[in-house]
Amino acid sequence: MSTVLHHIPGARSFRILWLLQEMQITPTVKTYKIQDGSLRHPDFMAKSPAGRIPALEIDGEVIYESGAITEYLCETRPEFGLGRAPGDPERIAFLEMMHYSETIAHLIAGLNLQWIFLRNPADRSETVCKLEARRLQASLVPIEELLGRQDHMLASGFSAADTMVGFSLTASQRYVRFDRFPKILAYLDRMTARPAHALATALDGESNVFDKDFYEVEA
Amino acid sequence: MITLHHCPQTRSMRVLWLLEELEVDFQVVPYPFDKSLRAPSFLSLSPAGRVPALEMYGETYFESIAIMQILCERFPERGLGREPRDLDRPDWLVWLNFAETITQHSVALTQQHVALYDDSMRSRTVMKLEAARLEKCYAAIENRLSTPVENRDHLLTSGFSAADIAVGQAVYLARFFAKTDEYPELSAWYDRITDRPAFRKALPPKEAGVYSRDFYPAWDE
Repeated sequence: MSTVLHHIPGARSFRILWLLQEMQITPTVKTYKIQDGSLRHPDFMAKSPAGRIPALEIDGEVIYESGAITEYLCETRPEFGLGRAPGDPERIAFLEMMHYSETIAHLIAGLNLQWIFLRNPADRSETVCKLEARRLQASLVPIEELLGRQDHMLASGFSAADTMVGFSLTASQRYVRFDRFPKILAYLDRMTARPAHALATALDGESNVFDKDFYEVEA
Repeated sequence: MITLHHCPQTRSMRVLWLLEELEVDFQVVPYPFDKSLRAPSFLSLSPAGRVPALEMYGETYFESIAIMQILCERFPERGLGREPRDLDRPDWLVWLNFAETITQHSVALTQQHVALYDDSMRSRTVMKLEAARLEKCYAAIENRLSTPVENRDHLLTSGFSAADIAVGQAVYLARFFAKTDEYPELSAWYDRITDRPAFRKALPPKEAGVYSRDFYPAWDE
């Protein structure tokens, strides 16, 4: 049975692409574009009813929501040691970081809306852009502190908490200057040095959404 | 002892509802929806300064959906979780996570309608766009509850679960910004689950909470 990842380059589905590579699974990648309405196509809506990326076809199931897919993959493939099962001493930290990655990602999504998806720039609010960039920056402070104590999101080493949070950190770089987060930068260097990350990046493709590396309100 | 750090009408309400369903002993520490969540004493409980935080037998937990998973694993006898390898496990995970996909739009709309203090910061376009996104989420729920054979009473085929609590509470927040009238199965499901005594106990006390109105329509062009 083939494994199919429904994907947008540089979107949350990168988390799944990366995790699958860590598990030595290379999916068929079906790439979508937000702007062309392909996410609203009935074939895709049947797989991801809210028309969201990612959706993963695997083991005869169709699963969506990157956090749900990640937990499912870890639970069904425990041999890779990337999850922390109920009862594991790191179970709590694993779940907290899984979901904290979405707290960060939602702040990024709010900024994406302001900077990218409002067709008329006059609709953009400088106040909201500044406020949300500040909140995004504040959400990274606990991660910087965590990385002062340990090398990965979990003290015991690399896990799917890294594929979840790692993506959020990479995407944050579009809106937050990272010079004040040296530990996160070093961490991201370690993550991108992983062979599975390089393989996932090769499959990811060019972003069809972002036209700049950094977005900020001009002073 | 279990202690929930809570703001009425926020994400912590879903943990409050779950605790009521679990029928465990707990206490609630209420917070106003303001800067008190940035105080160092609260940041030590929840590093991003967000409710909920939960203290349970000397440990502290944050992130509402993580807390819900932890509580379902800790108190399995009420059957609100679905364990790994359960037939409904993938869907349980999907819907629990989907609650946050819905809520991010309600949070953006709360910022637009309630939190921003100057009209010039608000945007009609953002209001309309985010409300439309909520409706797309409603359509996904409607679709889930409607099946060709027999409509589902709950999000999972196997019956009421923490997924209904998480998504139900997300819809409770969403209804301040997007009406559910055109989604009959969603409306029937919402009435069903909010008729539960545990939900009613999680409702805000009078005059407390984030929202002073029942509905915040997107502004006209």
